[in-house]
Order: sequence, then structure tokens, then C-alpha cells
Amino acid sequence: MNISQAVKMAVKSITGNKGRSMLTMLGIIIGIASVMIIVSVINGSNQQTLKQMEAMGTNKVNVSASRYDGKSIFDDLYNYCNSLGSDLVLGVTPSSQFSATVVYGAKNSAVMEKNQGNGAMGGGTGDSSDTGQQTQDMPPTLYFGSDQYAACNNFQIGKGRDITQMDVKRYAQVCVLGARAAKIFFNYADPVGQTMQVNGLPFTVIGVYAEKDADSQWSMDNVIVFPYTASRYLSPSTQMTDFSVKASSSQATTQVVSLLTGYLGGIINDQNGYFSVYSDNESQQSMNEWATQMSLILGGIAAISLLVGGIGIMNIMLVTVTERTREIGIRRAIGAERRSIVTQFLIEAAMLCGIGGLIGIMVGTVGSLIVGKALLHTLVWPSPLITASAFLLSVALGILFGIYPAAKASKLQPVEALRAE
Amino acid sequence: MLIKLTNVYKIYSEGLESEVRALNGVSLEIDRGEFVAVVGQSGSGKSTMMNMLGCLDVPTHGEYDLDGVNVKELTDRQLSHIRNKQIGFIFQQYNLIQTLNVVENVELPLIYQGIGAEKRRELAMAALERVGLIGREKHKPVEMSGGQQQRVAIARAIATHPPIIMADEPTGALDSHTGHDVLRFLQELNKEGSTVILITHDNGIAATARRVVRLTDGKIVEDQQQEVDWL
Repeated sequence: MNISQAVKMAVKSITGNKGRSMLTMLGIIIGIASVMIIVSVINGSNQQTLKQMEAMGTNKVNVSASRYDGKSIFDDLYNYCNSLGSDLVLGVTPSSQFSATVVYGAKNSAVMEKNQGNGAMGGGTGDSSDTGQQTQDMPPTLYFGSDQYAACNNFQIGKGRDITQMDVKRYAQVCVLGARAAKIFFNYADPVGQTMQVNGLPFTVIGVYAEKDADSQWSMDNVIVFPYTASRYLSPSTQMTDFSVKASSSQATTQVVSLLTGYLGGIINDQNGYFSVYSDNESQQSMNEWATQMSLILGGIAAISLLVGGIGIMNIMLVTVTERTREIGIRRAIGAERRSIVTQFLIEAAMLCGIGGLIGIMVGTVGSLIVGKALLHTLVWPSPLITASAFLLSVALGILFGIYPAAKASKLQPVEALRAE
Repeated sequence: MLIKLTNVYKIYSEGLESEVRALNGVSLEIDRGEFVAVVGQSGSGKSTMMNMLGCLDVPTHGEYDLDGVNVKELTDRQLSHIRNKQIGFIFQQYNLIQTLNVVENVELPLIYQGIGAEKRRELAMAALERVGLIGREKHKPVEMSGGQQQRVAIARAIATHPPIIMADEPTGALDSHTGHDVLRFLQELNKEGSTVILITHDNGIAATARRVVRLTDGKIVEDQQQEVDWL
């Protein structure tokens, strides 16, 4: 019996018992698809967290400083940091949030605020369950920043121009929008050059930042940044006490923390104010450790899922082949050699597992995308490594447990195989 | 001598308390062209005898020479070839493969002989014609009556033109009329020169054979020629 004959025989056997073939494939399909989906979703959420961390910026030093006389220390801080040079410090900016009503045309941040409250009662904002409606506009977060705000917060200017030192000095009534804020207020129109009303005052949009995080509903792109000197009109009572300093590297971060501590210690003491300096790197390090741990747990879950899927495949193959011992007896009685039997079952198992495996990959991919979209609001593509290993393991198990009992049955005396029911 | 059993034993669980001697020292010679009925009650060892003669099983002790070759010395592969080319089996339960249609079942032994598709189909159709099943070749076994299924099994057995036909209770699952047809067909094959070995518990059926070998408790108790009841 040659190979093409064996293939034909395997095909006949597969199509001759569609129910059994489907069940066998189902085991493999479920095995592969479930592993792919579980791993994809965990991986996706892990990566999303890391991405957000990344976007928020690394090597940031947070400075909190206040003087009892109410005089901001920012000018001193700005000058000191810039004197340290770009090999240590990339930027320094206030990082104060404030609230104000921003209006452009029919869009009003105060109304969004109100709707957001209603939305929350109605089942949460940005919930995928209310897909019938337009996603609710979230009110933007407003920041006062220096000309180095973008550098400190990992923003790149996308359209127009960024805030300059001149804007700061002139108390310019200008602002830069984050990508999502631009989308909310201007939809697809170009915001640059348009005038928005902020607490009733006209502010010109001079630029839009490039999008940092396209996937997430919760977005750090929904921001509007104003030169910090504009606080004179917008929020005169706010005393700016929080600042961010962007260091050039993680080594530089440590150095900058100690330099700033020394510097601020020189100008602020217990009598005239307080200050604190700390870097994000420690919390980021623990986030990284957490991510590593998640990966380990993930590996464990994947291994267990593969094991469970593998046992399922093994059972189905064992049952089907045992069920076919009589057939093996018949074939042997009319002259099939052992080799022919094993070849036939090998090809049969390989075809079933191969086809089942491919369907499993398709189901797993679509499943990952759907579940990822539902749970993480983002498209999660399954990892090729996991996909390949799930496929290979399932197919290998399917073939192994397809041949092994067949090989065993073919070793029986034909009469014993014939006796099987 | 085509078939020669010399002091053959088939013993299950040998040496244990539960030891069963299915064949207990059987010696038998069958010549080419004979029609032999092996008769015995259930448990007499007649099926074991057929399995032995058909190379479906191996003796525990004793010698079996088939066409001058000692079967004990053959490899599994050589035994497969003997079953494939020398022997045609007809079983009580037909033993057709349910997932294959009629003509595919009949082609099966030809496939294992490595015969090409065209020639195979030709031989299979000729065999089906002999048993009167032309026109049913695409049916699945489950769609056919017991008598028809047994005719498919016979077609499969004769498709390779084997010199020996072995039939184990071939009429056991059939009504007397269709059973009669099967027996007449075996007589026909014998007249054409095939050696036929028929296993049965029924003396009436054994009457269709020229020679009757009677087994009791794994031993031959009677071996004689008789007047044939031609059907």
C-alpha cells in the first residue's frame, strides 16, 4: 500500500464518520482556542498597563514645594534645573491641575461633567453595553504647564506649535490640546487657530499633541495645557506647589533627586515652607516586577490549559481508536500489514489534528479579538509563540494518542482485535 | 498437502487454574480442492481451529504447515500476505467496515495487494457481479439486509481469487433461504477448484460438505467422507 492510497483511506475514514471526526477536532479546537484566548487577554491587560506607564513617562522626579509667603518657587526651580544641563534634566514644568469651564461651539466641559455623572449612574462611562449611543464625551483635564510640559509628560506636538517661553512670559491666552480633547471639541476639524472660551475668556488653540494612547477609553490624551502664567486669569487663587522634572536617564534621576533636595533645602526651611522630592522610578520598578509576576502566572495558566486540553485530546483519540480495534482486526484479517494500519491511523490523526488545529487557531484569534475588545476595549492579537506551541502540542498529542493505541491494536493477533466490541 | 496440522494445541492461561484448552492436540490434513465441514458444539474449539487455519491466531504448541511452509517460522508481514492472497474469510457477523461503501469494502484486500485503482475496481465489480450485487455498489453496509451484507463479505473474500475459502458460521445470522444461497455458492466455489473450509454447529449445514470433521472439547472425534447433499 503506497502513501497516496493511505491518504485516500484516511480521508474516507474521516468523511465516513463525520460525527466522530467532528468530536475529535472539537477537542483540539477547544484546547487551542481556550489557551489562545486566556493568554491573549492576560497578556493584553498586562501590556496595556505597561503601555500606560510608559506613556506617563519614566525618569520623572516629582517636586512638591510651597512657601508660606505664597510666592511660587517655580521660577527658581526652572532656572536651577535648566542650569543643570540636558545630560541631566530634559525639562521642568508645573504639574497643577485646575478646573474651569471650557466651551467651543456647542461643546461645553461643564455639561460633559454633568453627563458623566448621569452616565455613571446608568452603568458606567465608556461601557461597551451602550454601543447604540455615541460614546460619552469625557470632560478634559486642564493643566498649567511650562514650555517644557511636553518633554516632561512624553508628549510630542502633532499639529501647530507647542507652548513657548515667550507665551509664558507674555501671559499669552493660548492652549495646546491633547489628541482626544481635540477630537471631542473639534471632531475632525482643525483646532489650530480656533478660539475656545475658558471661564469666559478667549484662548487660542496653538497646537495639538500627537496621540499617545489610541486604544484606551480612559485616556491621557484628553487634556488641555495652558501656560502656567495664565493662572493669573484662570485660577488666581491657586498656588502652584507641584512640579515635574524630567531626568535624562534612570541614573540621572537618582542624581537629580539628590541635587534638587540639596537645592530646595537651601532656599526652603521649616520656618518658611516645606518641600518634598521623589522619583516615580521606584513605583515603576514595582510595576515592572508586578508585570513580570503576571507573566509567570500567565505561563502557569497557559501550561495548565494546555495540559487540560491535551488530556481532552488524548481521551478522545484513545476512545476513538479503541472503538476501532474491531476495524483494525478486520483489516488485518483480510491482509493489512501492521505498517499499513499504523500509517493509516497516523495520516488520519495528522489530518484531523491539523485541520482541527487550524480551525482552533482561527477560533482562538477571533475569540481573542472579541474578548479583548469586550474586556479591554482594545484589539488583542494572540501571541505567535503561544499559538504555535498550543498548535504543536495539541497536534503532537493528537497524533501520539492516535497512533499509540492503533499500533498497540495492530500488534494483537487479528483474532483478538476481531473479538473487540 | 495444502493444510497439515500436527498435534496442535491452543491453550489459554496455560499453567494456571483457569487454563482452557481450546484445541487439545489436533492433527488434520486437508488437500487441495476439498470441501471440509468442521462441526462441533459451541465451545468445542471449532472457531479456534478456523482462526488457526486462517493464520488469525498462532498455536500454543504443535506445527501448522500451509502449502508446505511452517507457519510458525513466518513473520507477521508474511502472515499478512498469506491472509491477503491465500485465504478468503467469510464471517458470521460479515465484518464489513461500516464507514466504507460496498465496492470499497470489496476492494480492501486488493488495496493491500497494491493493485492499481482501475484494475481493483474491475476485480471488485466482477466479484460483486458473481454475488448478484451489481447496482448496489455505492450503498453502505447498514443500508442492506443481512443476506446482502453476507454477499458483500463473500465478494470481498473471492475478489482476490484465493485458493482457500474459510467460512465461520456463514449462515448463522441469516434466514434459511438466504443461508441456503450462501451454502450453494460455497459448493460452486468448491466445484471451481477452491478449497472450502466451513465451520458450523449444524449437522444439516455440514451435510453440504464432502468431508466432516467433528470436534468435541478441542479434539477430533470423527473425520469421515460423506455423500454430498448438493444444493
